[in-house]
Amino acid sequence: MNLISNIQKSIEDNYDHNAFCIRNKYYSYKDFAQVVSNIRQAIQTSVEKTEVIIGLVTNDDIETYASIITLWMEGKAYVPLNPEFPVNRNHTVIKQAGIKTILDSSTDKIFNNYNTILTKKLPASEINLCPVDHISEEDLAYIFFTSGTTGTPKGVPITFNSLSGFTEAFWKLGYELTNADRCLQMFELTFDLSVFSYLAPILKGACIYTIPKDEIKYSYIFELMEDYKLTFALMVPSILHYLRPYFDEIDCPDMKYSLFCGEALPLDVTEEWSKCLPNATIANVYGPTECTIFCTDYTYKRKGGNKSHNGVLTIGKDMFDTTTIIVDDDNNEVKTGEKGELCLSGVQLTSGYWKNEEKNKEAFFFKDYKGKETRFYRTGDLCTVDEEGDILYLGRVDFQAKIQGFRVELSEIEFHSKASLDKMNVVAIAFDNAMNTTEIGLVIESQKFETDQLLEELKTKLPHYMIPTQIRFVDNFPLNTNGKTDRKKLKELFS
Amino acid sequence: METTEIKEKISEALESVLGHSNFETNDELTAQDVDGWDSLSHMMIITKIEEQFDIKFKLRDLNKLKNLGSLVSVIQGKI
Repeated sequence: MNLISNIQKSIEDNYDHNAFCIRNKYYSYKDFAQVVSNIRQAIQTSVEKTEVIIGLVTNDDIETYASIITLWMEGKAYVPLNPEFPVNRNHTVIKQAGIKTILDSSTDKIFNNYNTILTKKLPASEINLCPVDHISEEDLAYIFFTSGTTGTPKGVPITFNSLSGFTEAFWKLGYELTNADRCLQMFELTFDLSVFSYLAPILKGACIYTIPKDEIKYSYIFELMEDYKLTFALMVPSILHYLRPYFDEIDCPDMKYSLFCGEALPLDVTEEWSKCLPNATIANVYGPTECTIFCTDYTYKRKGGNKSHNGVLTIGKDMFDTTTIIVDDDNNEVKTGEKGELCLSGVQLTSGYWKNEEKNKEAFFFKDYKGKETRFYRTGDLCTVDEEGDILYLGRVDFQAKIQGFRVELSEIEFHSKASLDKMNVVAIAFDNAMNTTEIGLVIESQKFETDQLLEELKTKLPHYMIPTQIRFVDNFPLNTNGKTDRKKLKELFS
Repeated sequence: METTEIKEKISEALESVLGHSNFETNDELTAQDVDGWDSLSHMMIITKIEEQFDIKFKLRDLNKLKNLGSLVSVIQGKI
């Protein structure tokens, strides 16, 4: 595990290269090293060596990114705290993680009653990028709290070993990154895709372009791509839905890699997007926070022959050191081509939810795999694998509604609705009505229109129990803080 | 079209999307000053304004619409 010393080396080797571009202002790796060193000095004087889990206020500035690297060099983990999240949620997270010290780059501290280090106001210190000598592979790099279905956030702790395993597996995919690259970082730091978006560039001395919080994300991304000729971008597919009406205005020949993660990636939109980025390799990567950022990969083929299911591009094959299996309700592996829940194992897998034995019992299980007792994580994703080992995403296991006793995949309803509605975006929702039976609702991103024709067409393609019984229109789909379509909010439209 | 007329039409669009008119239509008005004008309603407001003036914004225009004054001048350039 050389992750931390690799970070050190890359920073030192690239002093004269740009590390960040934040609000049109550049910071070199030398500047970055200086900020890291200043924060280190403060941590060494005011934080006990044994205190390893530290809160981090997630602002969009050099100090916040430097804080992460600083904590790692000190062998400590960060827990991102988004100042825009409800106060109660942040306090629940702080309490659960046992946070005493918070690094905060704001002018005035966001959280009272903790040992806050205001990272913008620190005196200059001598540059010191040497990791402390007591860092072990099993030490934590971060804990991300994801929303739990019961309302209490679940903490996902990730060790340096898992993070290092992820970076090694990523490099093995052959997507090349050098210190000449310009990379997009579009994610809130409370979303683990952000870890990829800053860590991969830092490890290669590339420049990271962030998005100010007060900007409209999708149009700002477009400007960064065009004005700064970005070469590398990981995005959520929702961005494409917003950009789609403007695809004819986008031409970015400098883009070399365009990766997608976090949601189902529609094949037709990907085809159109590929024309906006004539020279880019497009890839669909997949993985839950529990398995460190992402753990399967598929490279889109420009010449066609891409695998898809219900219009959703395949998520490809497991990356190095990750094992994927698809199981039935009794944890038995299903035959090739059969449906089941995707389960993951390997170096990237978390040791389990933070202090949450109950959830751990639900989500993790041991199973004999190739003669070895192996721990697997249930993703909640319904998948199937084909003869060549490519995994097709069918939908969430929980979205697999039971209607009148029939199993229904909501993605199939979405697929046929979109096909009928020419490029309109739709979401199918299963909800319980007043009689406590499950109905299917369809939300269409559009002005209101007559839906008789749509329903007639659906009836020619779907069995009667899959036809939506209620339809709602919204002008724009709401997004959650991770930038994905907020299905929970859409569900509230039905009752 | 007169600036005042453009502003009137814009505030109609804002009112129809946001459901209130608790804002002053001066040039310095920004999304932060108006209740409910966030990144989501921004897109609905943009669509509404496009309809009202029968114009189409370019992707690049969207980032320029930082305050009412710049919104008015972008619209003036299109009608």
